[in-house]
Amino acid sequence: MKNLTLLFIFAVLFTTFSCNKDAESERFKLLTTPTWSSDSLLANGADASGPGGFLEDFKGDAKFNKDGTGYFGIYEGTWRFAYDETQIVIETDSLPIPLTTQIAELTASSLKITTSFPNIVTGIPIKIRMTFKAK
Amino acid sequence: MRYYFPLAALIITSFLNSAISQGVIEGRVYDSHTGESIHSVYIISNDNRGTVTDENGFYSFKAGSDTIGIIFQFIGYKSEKRTVNIITDTTRLDIAMDMDIKELDQIVVSADRTERRVAELTVSMDILKSSDFLKNHITDAQELITKSSSIEVLDGQASIRGGSGFSYGVGSRVLALIDGLPVVSPDAGNIKWQFLPLENIEQIEIIKGASSVLYGSSALNGIINFRTADATSHPETRFYAETGMFGKPQNSSWKWWNTSRIFSSASFSHLRKLGHNDIGIGLTLLSDNSYRKYNDEKLARLSFRFKHRNEKIKGLAYGLNISSGITRKTDFILWEDAEYGALKQDTSSVSELTGTFMAVDPYLSFDKSDRFRHDIRARFQLSDNRFPVRINNNSNAYSLYAEYQGSFRISDLLSITAGAAETYSNVRSNFYGDHEGMNFAGFSQFEVNPFHRLKLVAGLRVEQNSLDKKNDRIVPVFRTGINWQAAEYTFIRGSFGQGYRYPSIAEKYASTTLGSVKIFPNPYVDAESGWSTEIGIKQGVKLGKTTGQADLSIFMSKNSDMIEYVFSNYPDPVTGLFDFGFQATNVEQSKVYGFETEFSLNFSSGNMNTILSGGYTYIYPVEFNPASNSNTDTYLKYRRKHSLKLESNTFYKKFQFNFLVYFKSKILNIDDVFLNEMTREQILPGFYDYWQDHNTGYLLIDEIIGYKISKIITASVAIKNALNTEYMGRPGDIQPHRNVSLRLSGEF
Repeated sequence: MKNLTLLFIFAVLFTTFSCNKDAESERFKLLTTPTWSSDSLLANGADASGPGGFLEDFKGDAKFNKDGTGYFGIYEGTWRFAYDETQIVIETDSLPIPLTTQIAELTASSLKITTSFPNIVTGIPIKIRMTFKAK
Repeated sequence: MRYYFPLAALIITSFLNSAISQGVIEGRVYDSHTGESIHSVYIISNDNRGTVTDENGFYSFKAGSDTIGIIFQFIGYKSEKRTVNIITDTTRLDIAMDMDIKELDQIVVSADRTERRVAELTVSMDILKSSDFLKNHITDAQELITKSSSIEVLDGQASIRGGSGFSYGVGSRVLALIDGLPVVSPDAGNIKWQFLPLENIEQIEIIKGASSVLYGSSALNGIINFRTADATSHPETRFYAETGMFGKPQNSSWKWWNTSRIFSSASFSHLRKLGHNDIGIGLTLLSDNSYRKYNDEKLARLSFRFKHRNEKIKGLAYGLNISSGITRKTDFILWEDAEYGALKQDTSSVSELTGTFMAVDPYLSFDKSDRFRHDIRARFQLSDNRFPVRINNNSNAYSLYAEYQGSFRISDLLSITAGAAETYSNVRSNFYGDHEGMNFAGFSQFEVNPFHRLKLVAGLRVEQNSLDKKNDRIVPVFRTGINWQAAEYTFIRGSFGQGYRYPSIAEKYASTTLGSVKIFPNPYVDAESGWSTEIGIKQGVKLGKTTGQADLSIFMSKNSDMIEYVFSNYPDPVTGLFDFGFQATNVEQSKVYGFETEFSLNFSSGNMNTILSGGYTYIYPVEFNPASNSNTDTYLKYRRKHSLKLESNTFYKKFQFNFLVYFKSKILNIDDVFLNEMTREQILPGFYDYWQDHNTGYLLIDEIIGYKISKIITASVAIKNALNTEYMGRPGDIQPHRNVSLRLSGEF
């Protein structure tokens, strides 16, 4: 009984100290290290970053901080990875719902994300593709 | 010759001993109030001889001297001391034992996985006795649980002290158990409330706070253990038949029916001993037309229990319990609209369900009360959901749970409980896909009594889940607690426990459309984890004929990566096309601070006996930022700050009057999807405006009057929600308005 108890305690200690759930992943480092600058912001294949454009407010810099906060153009809010780090979800008070985006490319110098968003007027979703370069 | 003298001396000494002081003391120990025999009572003489009573309360042992002092001890009873002069070969000594303050001395098993007095626990526990809920015309375990001050059940999802919100009925953070064995469904990870065998329950034990060390995943927020009744020396039969109807809702424009909305139920249970066997059977039938359109239910529940005590090997017992049920019902999901259709389900979400359930529980126990106890228990559970219209939502699941537990009393100082458990689950469904899950766990708990009246508890559990042969990480969880009896009726306690919940298969893989609501799978959703802690004091009260107890506790819990269904634009995992809907996501970081007070007082005067009880719980539930660990200003969803329950039960001659008051304050926060301009009308038409006006908290009153027609039969009338309060659980879930029921019940 004494040996079993000791074995049990060692097992617990081993598993406690061998698990490091919060280690930063490669993708986390790639995303949070640089400040990103918008390169192309396309809605249904056309540039939407100009004045009055659907993505005008995303134009400029984007920063994904390690603590989950960030700014994305003029928006300030929070971000998180989802779906095994293949998606980025952005939440800000300025957007009506959390925006889920699919990561098409993430390297040290380039970030490409795609999503679609409702057009409240037409009801037809707008396909969005945003490209950022590391500054 | 040299051997003869010592041998002769030994024979003479033995003869003298036997002649002078080897008289036998024997007798029976029984409850002074009920006359029931008490088994396993410790009987210890002042010369360190002793025994325990058998299953019929009898004992017998040889006295060591002419005059001996004997003490009779049994948990929950006042110890009895006697001095006996041995003057004959056999001395008869029957002992009637008095219970101590009943509220302090109730025996529970859930908190430490072994029998304990409730006053000596290190955690907070509520105990609901079957006699209490049966007289209140409660036929559904969900109604029973949600009418506690510190618990709320939102559309099937239980939350203890604000430890859980509402995630559409899947992934319960409160683990339901029948006799200590988990009864959560393997697919949705929810509690099948309708199949819990209330007809044969002795008491329900609710632990408030993380209990994963003893009960594993799903016990993150606490446990509810439904303990079935054991047979006593007298056969016991209970039955009732009830019928009732709903009145008019407060908002008359919601009334959609022309014929009365009627509900009926009947139940029967019988328990008896036959030789060395205990046999029990229970049956419940229920039919509910419902006050809501497309929300009716028919239910049949059957339970059976068999226990055999081995006549040759004392302490060895084995048996089999079976619970089963079948239901045909339509769950209420989305209302039609707030103006006229709040009690009518939107036809887009109507889906009739035929559900069947069966649990077969073989067990074996070997109990040497004074030294050790071994338990081997198993549960084979089968559940099947058939949707005649939406056949893609059909699912079939079975699970096999097995555990060994050993409890060892090493010395007066130390007791150890340790064991191992395994669960295999198998789900077959178009809704979830086909999946296999495994769970392995080892647990150990140490109880130390370093000083008189002081108890220290520490426990560890190591658990690993695997799904479809992919192993998750090994999870260790820890608990510790202390209980100090500061005075005769004063008990101070403190505890800390870690919790953990592995996501259900539904949270990972459910993919469906219900009305305008689309659910996306998320196979990458991770486990939730957290801890809870509390300090508390329990004070017994004994003033003349008034007895009772009061309890105060201050608690806190912190949980990370809590799973919520988040509305967003998600890509379809197969086509990659984005659409709007819900997906289970590790998103909530929660802290809950609070305090709770409960009391129970029993007054007696002449022919009148009154039990006054109640509880009040305050919580401050808030999100925190995991990076800084500081609280945000955002309240957790689907929590209420205040909840109160008061109950008065008065017995006067043949009459019984029960009066119950419930108050719950407003819900502090809900999912944005119900408030957001872009989505709210699409999901619940009219809800936003209704919410602005009606999220104000509510007060309910239930009244029950009973009259004992004969020694066996009691007739009673219950008026539930007597004030006809209009109130809501989760968004769109209007709760029952005033209803009246008549019940004939009996017990013999």
